[in-house]
Amino acid sequence: MTNLVEVRGLVKTFKRRDGTEVRAVRGINLDIAQGEVFSLLGPNGAGKTTTISMISGLLSPTQGDATIGGFSITKQPMQAKKLLGVVPQEIALYPTLTARQNLDFFGKMAGLGGKELAKSVDEVLDFIDLKDRQNDRIDTFSGGMKRRVNIGVGLLHKPQLVYMDEPTVGIDPQSRRRILDTVVQLRDEYRMTVLYTTHLMEEAQELSNRVGIIDHGEIIALGTVGDLIQQIGEEDRLIFSVGEQDIDNGLLQQFEAIAGITKVTYQSRELNVAPGLEDSAELVIEKKSTGTMMAVRSGQVMDGEIVVYAKRGRKALPELLRLADDAGVNIFSVEVREPDLEAVFLHLTGRALRD
Amino acid sequence: MDKIVTIAINDLRVFLKDRSNIIFLTLVPLVMTFIIGYVNGGGFGGASSQLRVDLLDNDNSELSAQFIASLKEANSSLMLCPADNDENDGCNLGDNAGLTREQAEQRVRDGDTLALIEIPAGFGVAVESFQPVSLSYVSNEDFTAPGFIRQAVDAAALRVNGAIVAARVGTDVAGQIEGITLDAGGQADFTQQVYDRAAGIWAANPVSVAYELTAQQESSTGEINLQSGLAQSVPGMGSMFVMFTVFGGMTLLVIERKQWTLQRLVSLPVSRAQLIAGKILSRFLLGILQFAVVIAMGFLMGVNFGKDPLAFILIVLTYTLSITALSFALGTQLQNEEQASGLSLLLSLALAPLGGAWWPLDIVPEFMRTIGHISPVAWAMDGFNQLAFFQGGLGDVLLPVGVLLAMSVVFFAIAVSRFKYE
Repeated sequence: MTNLVEVRGLVKTFKRRDGTEVRAVRGINLDIAQGEVFSLLGPNGAGKTTTISMISGLLSPTQGDATIGGFSITKQPMQAKKLLGVVPQEIALYPTLTARQNLDFFGKMAGLGGKELAKSVDEVLDFIDLKDRQNDRIDTFSGGMKRRVNIGVGLLHKPQLVYMDEPTVGIDPQSRRRILDTVVQLRDEYRMTVLYTTHLMEEAQELSNRVGIIDHGEIIALGTVGDLIQQIGEEDRLIFSVGEQDIDNGLLQQFEAIAGITKVTYQSRELNVAPGLEDSAELVIEKKSTGTMMAVRSGQVMDGEIVVYAKRGRKALPELLRLADDAGVNIFSVEVREPDLEAVFLHLTGRALRD
Repeated sequence: MDKIVTIAINDLRVFLKDRSNIIFLTLVPLVMTFIIGYVNGGGFGGASSQLRVDLLDNDNSELSAQFIASLKEANSSLMLCPADNDENDGCNLGDNAGLTREQAEQRVRDGDTLALIEIPAGFGVAVESFQPVSLSYVSNEDFTAPGFIRQAVDAAALRVNGAIVAARVGTDVAGQIEGITLDAGGQADFTQQVYDRAAGIWAANPVSVAYELTAQQESSTGEINLQSGLAQSVPGMGSMFVMFTVFGGMTLLVIERKQWTLQRLVSLPVSRAQLIAGKILSRFLLGILQFAVVIAMGFLMGVNFGKDPLAFILIVLTYTLSITALSFALGTQLQNEEQASGLSLLLSLALAPLGGAWWPLDIVPEFMRTIGHISPVAWAMDGFNQLAFFQGGLGDVLLPVGVLLAMSVVFFAIAVSRFKYE
């Protein structure tokens, strides 16, 4: 399969007001094949949008280059942009203009005109299912409808590469489902290549042919979802809920000594209340581990969790439960999580993707 | 070029969708222009259509009467108080029918009258006997009226002096001609006849100078001051409202960056220069539209903008272009709407009076006039004034037009080089 996008040594450095520099993207290399959905996954501030902004010509790279369809984004930006359709995270539309006026304007800017423009606008309105609302102002639309017009604008000139930056942020589940279906439709029916950024692991896992995980401006993992999980050794995660009990370090060491277990961590959450309310009466909350109502004070340990990483974790489960019982630790619940992208990210960075 | 025009048309469409923009573009400037024009022209009573001057005749002789008559002939707009006071108390004397020297001087100081002329006792006798005599003239030297009054006083004095000189010379010449012998009574009659003849010839104004505020305004009509005020305020307010409208472009860039339409445009095959040029074109057209609205109102009110419409249009175009380019040179650096609207207001309210949009730069000190010319408004007003008040043509406005064009080029270069959408 030929590459539509090739990224080589892309670096972006921003200067702070005090003169110091922030290296937002630190030398990214990336190939995206024609006709695939490629997701760039990473937490907020990882460098996803900066990377894509350089590829789509919004930012000029400090170092490195990228090509779209063989056209350099730094040397032949106009040719490269003709192959690219951008769907930004923000609703990049004129709110006082109608849907059709927005599509007409951006279509002209994309180089369309005359009958070709009118045909393309009609097709996009059909595709986003808003033909009956085409003459209504954007500021009268719901969030989901605005998102659909936002996507439609990026498709007007039938680009080879569609870049979508977190298109499901802040919308209802129904609209979100519709957008995810649209992405698949673009790939499968229209043979478009989609570059998709998200911080939602489930979306990346569902849509992508391949995923790049980005953190602190670097690609830390790249491949299909299966490849990535393979890279971390296909470990299960066993999550033991222990409530507010104190956990002795010795128990964790005993867990780790069991065959097949690679890592054991203990995490606990404390109840935090808003400043000024610390000394107020005890708060009654629902205790996650038992489902009972309990009274707690600010700073009190709430739900403690022992997380065990193990290959074929279910097999180690009885032994783990026995050791806990011997140590006098009550296990309120056990959850076994099969390996996923969240686990890959956690394994690679030591942090959860949503942190 | 297509994309530039498309961007401009789209921006105009977005602008005109907002009704408050339309009101600000039309109604507000019209009201402001009329108010400022009225104030500048003395429409609120700062000055009447007649030039009020106190005149104290301490002589009450035939010659002093002739002097007063000459004064009125020299300038028919003079209201000589208290003699010319009317039932509406045009002299603003109140219950005070008489007027002392001290009171009259105070009235000049207070601005109640433009000047005081005092004819001393013995004026007539002194003139007839060719003894030196001085008229007293007191004025605050206002920027318009006293020039006319002093000229009228000079003209009247010249007439009286001239007639007396002619009578004396005539009598002397007649006395030297053989065969003509006049007794004392005959000599006095002869002198009077020569004087009357000379005064009659003066009255016919063999040589006269017409003083005008504008080409078409008649100094005797009540509209003179309002017309003069509007000739200043229409281009002045037009210039200021062009700034208000065009500087809105600074906010526009910030808003477009915030709502991401700017970034979306950049992601399309549109060059940076096309993008900036399109945005500038839209604001430029709005600026022209703004000027057109104000000027149209001026035309409807009969304001004369000069004899050369091409020169006038050239000033409007170059001025609006310079303001548009300035707004984008600054707008590219702004971070948020608050900065943009604050700077827009500050610049408009600083550059307008500094450049003479609110009042003529003629009334400010020389150094302020020089400083004022950092403002494009000053150059535009120089051009407008050349056309309206001095009947200038294209050649007379080339300097302001050239400066405004140079400013536009510099500002545009800054705008393109510093434009950022990141």
